[in-house]
Amino acid sequence: MTHNAAGGRGSSSAPAVAGSARPWHIPEGVWGLLLLAPALALLAALFAYPLGLSIIGSFTDKEGTLGGANYRKIFELYTGDIVFSGAVCLFTVAVTNVFAVAIGGYLILGGSPKAVAALRWLYRWPLFIPFVVAAQMMRGFLAKNGLMNNSLVTLGLIDPANTVGLLDWRGVVITFVWKQLPFVTLLVSGAMASLDQSMIEAARNLGAGRVRVLLGIILPQVRGSLLVASVLTFVTLMSVLSVPMMINAAQPTMITVDMAYRITSLGDYGAANALGVVSYLMTAILAWLYLSRGMPRIENQ
Amino acid sequence: MIGKRLSTLAALALLGASVATPLKAETVLSVATAGDQNMVDYINDYLGPKFEAANPGVSVNVVGTGPGDAGSLKIFEKLDAQAKAGTASWDIDVAVVHQRGAAQMMDDDLLSKYRDQIATGNMVTGQSAENALGTDVTGFVMPMFNSQIAIAYNPAVVPNPPKTYDELVTWASEHPGQFGYNGIKGGMSGVGFVMGWVAAMTGDADKLEKGPYDPAEKAKIEEALASMKPFNADVTMTPGNAGTLDMLNRGEIVMGPVWVDMFYTWQADGKLSPDLKLQIIAPGLPGQPMYYVIPAKAASADLARKFVELATSPEVQAEGIVKRFNWYPGIDAAHVQAQLDPASWNKLFTDITPEDLSTKGKPFPLSQYFTDILEAYERVAQ
Repeated sequence: MTHNAAGGRGSSSAPAVAGSARPWHIPEGVWGLLLLAPALALLAALFAYPLGLSIIGSFTDKEGTLGGANYRKIFELYTGDIVFSGAVCLFTVAVTNVFAVAIGGYLILGGSPKAVAALRWLYRWPLFIPFVVAAQMMRGFLAKNGLMNNSLVTLGLIDPANTVGLLDWRGVVITFVWKQLPFVTLLVSGAMASLDQSMIEAARNLGAGRVRVLLGIILPQVRGSLLVASVLTFVTLMSVLSVPMMINAAQPTMITVDMAYRITSLGDYGAANALGVVSYLMTAILAWLYLSRGMPRIENQ
Repeated sequence: MIGKRLSTLAALALLGASVATPLKAETVLSVATAGDQNMVDYINDYLGPKFEAANPGVSVNVVGTGPGDAGSLKIFEKLDAQAKAGTASWDIDVAVVHQRGAAQMMDDDLLSKYRDQIATGNMVTGQSAENALGTDVTGFVMPMFNSQIAIAYNPAVVPNPPKTYDELVTWASEHPGQFGYNGIKGGMSGVGFVMGWVAAMTGDADKLEKGPYDPAEKAKIEEALASMKPFNADVTMTPGNAGTLDMLNRGEIVMGPVWVDMFYTWQADGKLSPDLKLQIIAPGLPGQPMYYVIPAKAASADLARKFVELATSPEVQAEGIVKRFNWYPGIDAAHVQAQLDPASWNKLFTDITPEDLSTKGKPFPLSQYFTDILEAYERVAQ
């Protein structure tokens, strides 16, 4: 953006070199700032301002005095939930990455063109289904006497007495993985497709198996994309309310549910803000990773 | 500067809109309702058209603000903002809110006292038309309907269900995982079950319902809820009000607290086994009305009163509230029964008799106790 603007200015001001300096000459730095201004204004209004409000709110108790009461309360009541939220999201990211690499790898290295075409067509579907719809679907699918177990019982694979419902943290992880897999696969398989094919062919010619090529040649080169996808997945999942609310009835639960509960049942915005700030901090660690490692790698690729 | 531009833009937009739409001498009655989608459907599909037919030139515009107390809170926040901004007339004419919402609005003087000005005002007899969780609301509200929490059970598996909270505790320990409820974060049927537990275990139901508020009660509440921890280990946690009904229907649990109206509606829609039954365990379970309120500075206050008058007329209460939506009537049942065929009337009282309802149907505790109980539950019961 900045370069284009500078180029435009340069060409239009070319005759001015011979004549006198123009009074309306605008330095390049100011141009850059002007072009960035709308984006910066949006960032300030829609992100920085609410962030500030929420931090102030988290230190303000119901009487309006400043203090750490909200944080004491949330750490007393919700420490388990905070750890649970982080753990569920990290675990989901790990599982999603494994599947995404496997699918991406098959799309590049798969032997059967028909299977590759079918997989390419199929894997994107969950991308277009909202979280709340996915949650409602999984509720009927993963329940103790739900569609999955009933099908397995009908097929004679399990005994009706031994069915187990997955409507707890496992259901949340399954729904999250199902929902995020296409997104991560899209990023990863895109990066894989842009790799230099000759390297892969050389490895295959030298006798490396497909798994070896995937893990030894392809994966190291798409680590940057995988990291970016992981960060974006983690941040997305930390903010999902519907899935834990509709699937995980047990304790502990994710902090989005606690935030919603604090506001809707108790009108307690202070504690909800404090939980929000904790979730900002958790995602900020990942954002830092993204900025310090992910960006340069991507640019180098 | 920006403000000036914006207002110019807004004026232009308004001008554009007035040119674009044909001029009609139409008054819009704005109705905001808390609650589930069925509340919006009720007004859109049934009450609104009825009112428009009786009042030519008036159209009813209804907005749903979401389920639970949160929905009422949104209406409160909107009215409160308009009051604080000093707006001369507010843009909600009729609101449908929960008890806590009505109490909050009363505290901030946001409501108008209209019950004596409508013809159906004297048809209300229940305690809930006067007292909303400890706040005196006499004259300011008309109950739209009453709803009740009850224990649904499968008589094929439990022919003799427990009749009291104490019996339920014993039963649950003998049948682990067979009783299910939705905790306190997944909807009001679970919250109501917990409120009933505290009333039963402390033996202070009267004090909790009528007050005055005594902070010293906190210790007793905590003790009652601490005894819930082993019970919670014996039961299944369900995902939400609908989750309890789903699990009952799939046979994953055989007993659990539900809203009576949801139970009957699901049965009528074929989403729930017709074999399931309801009962209220002693000493009682809470229920609550939803109220029609008219904001203090409603733009069309006259029309709003007419609207509530129609909504609380025996005919509408019979046809709309009881027959179509399986709610208990908001006005005195005697006025409503005369309007209904015996079959429709009896359906509402098949499992739970009017006597059960009057002895074991309780109000929710006072707002302060309500909050204390929720806070203590998170600390000691889960």
